[in-house]
Amino acid sequence: MDIQTLTLTLGDSTHAGRTFDVMPIVGEEPVLQVTVSGAEETPVYVTVTDTQILCLAYLFEEQELLPQRVNELHENMLRLSVPMPLSSLGKTGDHYVVYGALSPTSGTAEIMQELVTLAENAIDLLQTFEDYLA
Amino acid sequence: MRSVLNKILTAMRGSVNELGEAVVDSQGNRILEQELRDSEQELKQAKQELAALMAESASLARQIRSEQDSANKREQDARKALTAGQEELAREVAERIVGHERRGSELTQTREILQQRIAGLKERVQRAEKQLADYRRELQVVKTNERVLRTTAQIDTNINSQQSSLSTAKETLERIRERQAREEDRQTASATLEKELTGADLDEKLKAAGIDGEQDAIDSVLARLKDKPAQ
Repeated sequence: MDIQTLTLTLGDSTHAGRTFDVMPIVGEEPVLQVTVSGAEETPVYVTVTDTQILCLAYLFEEQELLPQRVNELHENMLRLSVPMPLSSLGKTGDHYVVYGALSPTSGTAEIMQELVTLAENAIDLLQTFEDYLA
Repeated sequence: MRSVLNKILTAMRGSVNELGEAVVDSQGNRILEQELRDSEQELKQAKQELAALMAESASLARQIRSEQDSANKREQDARKALTAGQEELAREVAERIVGHERRGSELTQTREILQQRIAGLKERVQRAEKQLADYRRELQVVKTNERVLRTTAQIDTNINSQQSSLSTAKETLERIRERQAREEDRQTASATLEKELTGADLDEKLKAAGIDGEQDAIDSVLARLKDKPAQ
């Protein structure tokens, strides 16, 4: 699966009643911004490497958090990361992210499932962790 | 692997992460890739050598067997000669047997040395394979890390060029709430519409006004029964 194929396929597909709005992100790396219908607020970014298809959504930035509650938040994020379907929690730069990695041999159905789940998880997580925001 | 993970963590704690700059410098990456290639080369050579040695060992085993077979056969010959009273002939055959046995034991010795080398080489191959898997895993971690940093840097640049800034989590939450409220309104509206269409809303209103069709029906049946009591 490469970015071009993914762009063409997602634009025309529906999965579990969702449609996908795909926009390439300009730059050196092949990155797509995918907006899932019904979860437009949390776009999912997709990049394909030799070893994986990486999908990630931004949650919040470090400076948006209440400093005195950061440890508690981390603890809760670690605990939720395990049971959350198809998604893990992580941090890259200052961004806290929810992400999922798929095998490059994954089919469109798996990728769409991942995208929908990730966008919905991002919304649930934002609402769950709202109290930790400054 | 641990050293690579530590390098990444150290670099992450520093200030390089903003621009998605290479966390493990590209020089380090090249060294890792070179090590990978060297390991691959070593593994290939070791495997070739191993294959050659194993072929040689198999050939030796065949020769040893052949010497043993010949010795066995000659032993029978010698017995027959002895039975026939041909002592001289038997001695001549015995000399042959000694020759076969000597060559057999020389070949066996050679083969034992060979087997030791094979065992050593097999160990080397296993070590090289493990090393190779380790390098590949390390390289994958380093490359994925760089990729993620470059990708997020690219996303941020892009979002920043389209909007004045990346929307905050609070703004996102506000938009989520607005959408969820809209969806709820839509659901309420469609539920209302459905009630109207099925007349369910009218039944509810009648019930609220104390006019209950179901209760009336029961009452009328009871009245009928009372009119005609059982005989």
